Amino acid sequence: MTANPVIETTNLNFSFKSGFKTLSNVNLFVPQGSVYGFLGPNGAGKTTTLRLLLGLLRNQEGKLHVFGKDFASNRIEILSRLGSLIEAPSLYMHLTAMENLDVYRVIYKVAKTRCEEVLRIVGLDQTGNKKAKQFSLGMKQRLSIAIALLHQPELLILDEPTNGLDPNGIIETRELIRTLNKEHNTTVLVSSHILNEVERMATHVGIIHKGSMLFQGPLSELQQMKTRQTALEVQTNDNVRAASLLAAHGKADLQPSKIVLPFQGNEQTAAIARLLVENGLDIYAIHPQQNDLEQLFLDITSAN
Amino acid sequence: MSLLTSVKSELIKTKRSSSFWLSLIGAGVIPVIFLLIYLIRPDKVVNQMKAMPWETHFFQGYQQFSSLLLPIFVILICSQIPQIEYKNNTWKQVFASPQSIGNIFFSKYIAIILMILFLFLMYNIFMILAAVIPSFIHKEISFLKHPINWAQLFELNLKTFISLLGIISIQYWLSLRLKNFIAPIGIGLALLIGSMMAFGFGWEHVFKLPFAFPLLTLVNLPKDGSSGHALLNHEWNSIGYFVFFTILAFLDMKYRKQRG
Repeated sequence: MTANPVIETTNLNFSFKSGFKTLSNVNLFVPQGSVYGFLGPNGAGKTTTLRLLLGLLRNQEGKLHVFGKDFASNRIEILSRLGSLIEAPSLYMHLTAMENLDVYRVIYKVAKTRCEEVLRIVGLDQTGNKKAKQFSLGMKQRLSIAIALLHQPELLILDEPTNGLDPNGIIETRELIRTLNKEHNTTVLVSSHILNEVERMATHVGIIHKGSMLFQGPLSELQQMKTRQTALEVQTNDNVRAASLLAAHGKADLQPSKIVLPFQGNEQTAAIARLLVENGLDIYAIHPQQNDLEQLFLDITSAN
Repeated sequence: MSLLTSVKSELIKTKRSSSFWLSLIGAGVIPVIFLLIYLIRPDKVVNQMKAMPWETHFFQGYQQFSSLLLPIFVILICSQIPQIEYKNNTWKQVFASPQSIGNIFFSKYIAIILMILFLFLMYNIFMILAAVIPSFIHKEISFLKHPINWAQLFELNLKTFISLLGIISIQYWLSLRLKNFIAPIGIGLALLIGSMMAFGFGWEHVFKLPFAFPLLTLVNLPKDGSSGHALLNHEWNSIGYFVFFTILAFLDMKYRKQRG
């Protein structure tokens, strides 16, 4: 983490009601030029953190620096250099796509041609006189992204931008984030509760759980950690016998419908398969354990 | 300068919104009724209109307009403009845009006041049309033979507008505060009716009730079409309420812990 941070928070604490901490000592470090995946289940504190970053919530404790400047004393300057999309689309439903952009075009002082440009980027340039209320959820989400992009911000803060999008929309949004990052060197902070999604676009990852950061660093670091933590699942027609056979390959954990072993590499998998077949067992399945967010949390917490 | 940009952005939002139509409808109701009376039963009004037709026309117009209809439309407009943000869930985007809290607060306020001025303007235009159009049809109606008393018209508008300032500031604050648009409208109407009753009972403190001010201005309007009258006590009070609630509402927005 040698690059300059675009966002840096120091010991951020926040509670909506006294006694219950929504955020506790959050130290966010978003390096310049990164796509930072901010990962956590619903209610972990992602949106609260992002709202603090945008000044939508009053900071209670800790330091909040964006572009190296204190947020509270440089609010307008910081906001003029970033684009944001928080939660559900915020659009004027009685206005067209172009009029929605116009509302912000005058504030950010951008040329009319830029509006046409961003509408092309998000694929809404053919909507003409159609009002936002007639848009599908995907179109609304794309128009919200267009608003965030309007002034070519150096930093994009996107809160679950793929929520409610169909698979095609999810892929397009992902591509868009990657393109902006590569071609315009835009730093992107994108929150999500889907590990898979973050792994596909992020360069850096921060994982938040119950208001605390569990992990933060480059994606490669997370993946290394995951491999270390990965387990192999085996299902056969006689799991009890299989477990005793596999005891030689590390501690085999016999669970109701499967056996779980520490994963040691592809050679080990092949050896296990051979061993089971040679002993006359039928193999139903043999695969590395699915690393969903829940599992990852368990792994990280147990590793800590 | 940047306040001007914020106002411009606000006005784009009112395009096709209900506040524009509210202003237009609010301005049109009374003039349409006058137009119908002049067209259908000119004999009923010809006598009282003989000497000072314009003065009588404007005075009677305001008498109908500002007792109830005008305050109600002002209450509705005040609630409609902040409601645009609540309804569309857009407060967060507004507060996350590079505008000072002062600009956000005052740009909406200015948009509301512009909308109310638009209502006044359209009302005056409609009133003049309601007098001119029937004059072509019924020759006995004498509007065209007399000049419009602009000084009286201006003073009627100015005093009525000043009498509304207290209501405007209170309603703007309520509408910023309360997410549900029914709440500020309900409170506003209750206060309006309560103040009318206090006026009806001849309560000696009625000149302190902001929602009674338009009515107090109305009953004190000169019937003779004269102009150049000083502001009355309650009109000064209206300005005082306006300053107080404007500051209160602004501080309330500025120091709120949670925005959008």
